[in-house]
Amino acid sequence: MSSIIPGPIARKPWGMLLPLTVLVCFGATVLYSAAGGSIGTYAKSHLIRFALFLVMAFIIARAPRELVKFAAFPLYVAVTVLLVLVEALGAIGGGSQRWLDLGFIVLQPSEFMKPAIVLVLARFYDTLPIAMTASWRALIPAGALLAVPAALVMLQPDLGTALAITFGAVVVMFLAGLPLRWFIGAGAAGMVIAPLAYLFVLHDYQRNRLKIFLDPESDPLGTGYHITQSKIAIGSGGMFGKGFGHGSQSHLNYLPEPHTDFVFATMAEEWGLMGGVLVLSIFFLILRWGTRVARNAPDRFSGLLASGMVATMFFYVAINLMMVMGLAPVVGIPLPFMSHGGSSMLTNMICIGTLMMVDRWSRRGGMVA
Amino acid sequence: MTAITVSTAFSSGRVQLVNVRQLSLLTARLRVLWVAGVFTLVALAALARIAVLGLVEQAPRPQSMSEALLPPRGEITDRNGVPLARAFPAYALWFNPEALGDGGSALVRSPGEVAAELAKIFPDMDRTRLAARLKSGKPGYLRRRLLPEEANRVQAIGELALEIPRENDRYYPQGSMAAHVLGYVGSDGVGRVGMEAVLDKQLRDPALRGQPASLSIDVRVQGALEDELRQGMLATDAVGSAGIVLDVDSGEVLALASLPEFNPNQIDAKGASMMFNRMTNQVYELGSTFKPLTIASAIDAGVVTDLSRRYPSGAPLHIGGFLIRDSHNLGPSLNVPEALIHSSNIVTAQVADLLGAKALRQTMVDLGMNERPYIELPARGFPIWAKGEWPRLRAMTVSYGHGIAVTPLHLASAYATLVNGGIWRPATLHKLAPGQAPRGRRVFKSSTSSRMRQLLRMIAVYGTGRSANAPGFRVGGKTGSAEKPGHGGYNRSSVVATFAAVFPMDRPRYVVLVMLDEPKGTAASSYQRTAAWNAAPIVGKLVPRIGPMLGIQPDETRDIDLSDLKPLVAGDKE
Repeated sequence: MSSIIPGPIARKPWGMLLPLTVLVCFGATVLYSAAGGSIGTYAKSHLIRFALFLVMAFIIARAPRELVKFAAFPLYVAVTVLLVLVEALGAIGGGSQRWLDLGFIVLQPSEFMKPAIVLVLARFYDTLPIAMTASWRALIPAGALLAVPAALVMLQPDLGTALAITFGAVVVMFLAGLPLRWFIGAGAAGMVIAPLAYLFVLHDYQRNRLKIFLDPESDPLGTGYHITQSKIAIGSGGMFGKGFGHGSQSHLNYLPEPHTDFVFATMAEEWGLMGGVLVLSIFFLILRWGTRVARNAPDRFSGLLASGMVATMFFYVAINLMMVMGLAPVVGIPLPFMSHGGSSMLTNMICIGTLMMVDRWSRRGGMVA
Repeated sequence: MTAITVSTAFSSGRVQLVNVRQLSLLTARLRVLWVAGVFTLVALAALARIAVLGLVEQAPRPQSMSEALLPPRGEITDRNGVPLARAFPAYALWFNPEALGDGGSALVRSPGEVAAELAKIFPDMDRTRLAARLKSGKPGYLRRRLLPEEANRVQAIGELALEIPRENDRYYPQGSMAAHVLGYVGSDGVGRVGMEAVLDKQLRDPALRGQPASLSIDVRVQGALEDELRQGMLATDAVGSAGIVLDVDSGEVLALASLPEFNPNQIDAKGASMMFNRMTNQVYELGSTFKPLTIASAIDAGVVTDLSRRYPSGAPLHIGGFLIRDSHNLGPSLNVPEALIHSSNIVTAQVADLLGAKALRQTMVDLGMNERPYIELPARGFPIWAKGEWPRLRAMTVSYGHGIAVTPLHLASAYATLVNGGIWRPATLHKLAPGQAPRGRRVFKSSTSSRMRQLLRMIAVYGTGRSANAPGFRVGGKTGSAEKPGHGGYNRSSVVATFAAVFPMDRPRYVVLVMLDEPKGTAASSYQRTAAWNAAPIVGKLVPRIGPMLGIQPDETRDIDLSDLKPLVAGDKE
């Protein structure tokens, strides 16, 4: 076998690529049904984007380690500048905005910040002498690196993305070996600050979402509508679902955003528990592959980079699933590889590409202790 | 668990390592495992949640289109399917200052502008008051009912605070017609007064409300009855009136009216005061209309065998200090047909005396005069009924309709019994399928009933009921004009005038009973207050209107055979 298939192809991580392709195709199927049996509406662009970004991921995977290390800080700065630019343009245009129209492409810089923050922190802890990980020098610059983009994204205001950025960064910091008591301390402080933030920092609509999350039935037709309808959709699927193309919740427009944030509910209604188990197991396979790549990483930088990428993807999956199941507030985070939407696909394919890159490094460089 | 085992393995294996670099790598790996463990836990939680949602929590039952189209409350129709009460989803205009949900001002534009827009749609609404109302920020109805096109125009104003909630309304397309039969639906959605109250459970039951409830009422007959009653009532300046058209064989009520009426579409204090049902709830001493019942009882008991037998009528009857007299002297003696034709109290009392109190009382019990009338309506009056054994005088006054007060409905059912072969049946407002009529109970022999048909017809042909004798409809019936009891005895100026009629007499089908409460002597009634001048003419005009609707065509060539009785009243002109 190995003689027939050329080496470069055989070396590709097929244990991840095959499940991923299955998942994207399944996603396209669900989108086809959500569009009422039209392939052009969502499914086609979904598949085209996947193909395009997969090529991009392969290109990323070719990048040499030194180049990535060198580019980490410039990339971070560039994305931060874009975030500032979005704020500035928003302020000039009168009103908040998340998008940057460069004329030939519409960019959402906050999406790029998710992998960028992981990259820059991995680079930061790579340069930091290991003996200093327990000192304040390990925390203050990293905290600043995180605080600036997180604050900018919060200003947009986009709570979900801000949380995703923070989550990826915190996981990198945790894996870098910062003292455990800092995290415990931060957690305790969070418990104190959360109510204060709820009262003074969050916007009304964000506060409402949290309120509704805690008691969705209190306003089933108003703000709690999303969660209630989503739970109905998942619940009505049962064991094997209503059948392909028979999901009334999505087809009759009961379900909000059946093709983006609530695509899992759309899927679960038509494919039932079996579909849910399939999606979860594929995510499990992909994330397990990512974790394995991170654990086999040749050095500290690549290990942290890979872990951060896995954490970012995991955050997407976990928050989206918990949101549609009524376990988390509605924050507007799409499900990777299933939801229709370019930016989430782009971010997640950057993550995949980076993981493939680290995988390649570890293969070539071997274990560097 | 996994993390702990691994950590012990690592720590025991590499306990000697002091290299900081190695140690930190170990920490990193441990932490990767921690993170992976958390990931796995979250994944398991998600899996469990899908299982719970998909398998345990039941999805809402899908509602079929026919269920969704089910009226919120069942319809009521007449016997021919003409709608009497309909479910009518309507729109209201509600001001919800919280609608924008941002805690700021309730409206996008100024209250004055919005009020001006609303006033454009509803010219009857006051602009300044409306503006003040919108400014106050208090939620509430701005208008209870909107037409669909008005709702569209309100929508077009584009203010979220102007909400148009859909409300269930009950609509009575016939207006006030049959109001006492139908009743109304309160704002709490519960039926009141009439069949709305009686059928409330059925009309609200999702399994039954898809089918309209058919009443025995015929709107055409009901309309004619109410029209004639109203005319008669206004012409005689009566305080009220009541009427009924009753199927003699089945007990079905084809029309039932009590005037003045109320409008169930618009319940107000004035309407609420009109809800009293004179036909089923008010008891009256109905006077001479009881005489045929007494005579029938006497014929049935074999007390009156010879209709040509004459009874003295020249002088008032003295019974235990009580005087029984006629309205005017009817001559020295009368036979039974003449006594009915001229409505003689003296002769009827003598017949009752011969019959005996016990037998007459039993007949009244058999006719249901000692209990509330039989009909579905909740408002049923209890008769004023002398308890225990009746003394001689009581039987004699009851024989001509005094000393007993019943509802007009009691009398209508008794008249149906009188002419239908002698079977008493309860009156009903439900439409009965053929053959569904209750068995009833026998009160009179069939032969008695045949004789009573002749006698009732003779009253209309020769006696006080002549103005009810619509040509070709073979009407028979008896007048009754009773003074209403007031303080310290009977009040001579206020009477209750009743005409209890049956048609067609050769094959009786319907009882038509008309009652006027306190009619005055007006030009229309030739300044008379007795039933012959006010109630009987109403029947005379009503029967030709409803006869053809009920399948009875006027026919001058047909009539009940009166040839054996006619010689007995030969002295009377035709």
